[in-house]
Amino acid sequence: MKNGFRQSMAWLHTWSGLLVGWILFAVFLTGTASYFKGEISQWMRPELHASAAGPEAAAELAVNALRQIAPRSNTWSVGLPQERDPIIRVFWRSPEARRFQNAILDPVSGERVDSRQTRGGDFFYRFHFELHMQPIWGRWVVGFCAMMMLVAIISGVITHRRIFADFFTFRPGKAPQRSWLDAHNAMAVLALPYHLMITYTGLITLMLMYMPWGIDAAYNGNRQAFFAEAVGSPPPPRAAGRPGELVAIGPLVAEAARQWGEQGVARLTVHNPTDANSVVQISRGDAGRLSMNPQTIVFNGTTGERTSETGGDGAAAATRGVTYGLHLGRFAGPVMRALFFLSGLAGTGMVATGLILWAAKHRQKRAATAKPGFGQRLVDTLNVATIAGLPIAMAGFFWANRLLPLDIAARPDWEIRVFFGLWVASLLHALIRPLRRAWIEQFAFAAFLGLAIPLLNALTTQRHLGVSLPQGDWAMAGMDLGLAGMGALMGAIAWKLARRPETVPVKRKARDAAMPAAAKSA
Amino acid sequence: MILLSFALAYAGFLALCLSLDRHHQEVIGGRPKPPRVQALRIAGWALLVLSFGAGVTAWGWIMGPVGWIGLLTASALPLAFLLPYAPRVALALGPALPGAAICVLFVSALI
Repeated sequence: MKNGFRQSMAWLHTWSGLLVGWILFAVFLTGTASYFKGEISQWMRPELHASAAGPEAAAELAVNALRQIAPRSNTWSVGLPQERDPIIRVFWRSPEARRFQNAILDPVSGERVDSRQTRGGDFFYRFHFELHMQPIWGRWVVGFCAMMMLVAIISGVITHRRIFADFFTFRPGKAPQRSWLDAHNAMAVLALPYHLMITYTGLITLMLMYMPWGIDAAYNGNRQAFFAEAVGSPPPPRAAGRPGELVAIGPLVAEAARQWGEQGVARLTVHNPTDANSVVQISRGDAGRLSMNPQTIVFNGTTGERTSETGGDGAAAATRGVTYGLHLGRFAGPVMRALFFLSGLAGTGMVATGLILWAAKHRQKRAATAKPGFGQRLVDTLNVATIAGLPIAMAGFFWANRLLPLDIAARPDWEIRVFFGLWVASLLHALIRPLRRAWIEQFAFAAFLGLAIPLLNALTTQRHLGVSLPQGDWAMAGMDLGLAGMGALMGAIAWKLARRPETVPVKRKARDAAMPAAAKSA
Repeated sequence: MILLSFALAYAGFLALCLSLDRHHQEVIGGRPKPPRVQALRIAGWALLVLSFGAGVTAWGWIMGPVGWIGLLTASALPLAFLLPYAPRVALALGPALPGAAICVLFVSALI
């Protein structure tokens, strides 16, 4: 322990933040982008169009298609078109295969869609908590970093000496580390409720994986039993072995829609579709309600009789449902989604300014001794490769979606390879170029990638801004304009950096960019 | 109503911010006298309470508080970053934003 309580907290804040800062930046930025997962997926599958058909019609189409595709499967599952993700997804498990297979259907015709193969917005979403590692390892790494983040937030609040007096303070004209500290404080304090909420609820979403011992003790290691009771997913029924006829699915969906509203019906699952003992389970979506706790209505598949209903929340289940829901923000309408997005950007900016602040402070301390040490070099390089490199990689992912040949094998994997390829290139570039040049060049490149997106979209698809704006196709137009806006932001940072004379230390120049850096993203 | 909640939050934060010596100096000039500090503080908190009311009216009791906290961030960040660059603009927006929000409400009520 250092001298006083506050000093030791400052020490804790510095090191807990620095060690996991680069991963946190990536988690924050990809997580913030995931608020628009649906829109990203739509943009990346430009061949698909929205449909106005209600959930009943879509459910009928899906079940008819599954009769053709997977007549012998014992489980069919259907994701119905949602406002922000207007496609039908069907999943089935054939008797011999263990894993589910899936296909995307056109919501109008019910035909299988041959849209370009892509992971879409799911890539950023999974990356956000798995880092594209083995899921179990990725989740542990992210969980560890989130825990450190919670430590950094709390120790940061304790360290901050004048939290109320400095509430609105941002002084771009002062010494570099002062200005970086101001920017860091502003983004941390002004969005503090969000930072606490998102870190804490993030840990809650995976709590059963991090700490399963309570369940193991109470249910004697039978986790299935726990989930059946807690989350309300009943175990699949046993097949009778006699053939049975499945009732028309439309009326069942209509009954659920009466209870939850048309947009409320999200998924349906059919167990043993061709057996006398078939069961239809219809689940509610997340739109318009805070809790993510599943709600399901179960029907007898041969008679169409309503047999049971789950999701009458107990207190603990409701608590988990609400915290989960808050983290994902799927309940949010457009305005609230934008607010979550803004707070997410503030979090991203907070991590970025924190990392840069460490480097700026360290540099000033070492200013007497001419050469930067290994630690300084390491932090500087990783800062460039993360803060400027990840936006480049993310923008490159969108470029790959449009430019890779449509018939290439394993196309989704190639998009991901482009993403990581660009990221590694950014690291190498940061290693060989002088620090200041590296920052400017990478931000300028990110700016180009972002600003040129509308042009790229116009050259490669029929749904460019000239079409999407008049049609009110907001997912498409919003993505084009949003990515271009992010590019403009990157450009502003690069321009600010380049405009300053060489003699001033690098960090000082970037400081003025701290305002756009607040909203830094790709 | 969401716009009004945002505007009131901005105005409230501006009043609270002017009650601090440093920002008063920067925006208006001179140190504020204690009565003025008191008045600004009361006005600031009152505006924030009104903003919360507008948020709950717009979104309801479940979503309202969540959205309102987001609005607090969305209104305080531009204020903090506007102050050093354009203090006069920051000051003018204080009455201008709520005024505009109320106009929008009136117009949409008429249509």
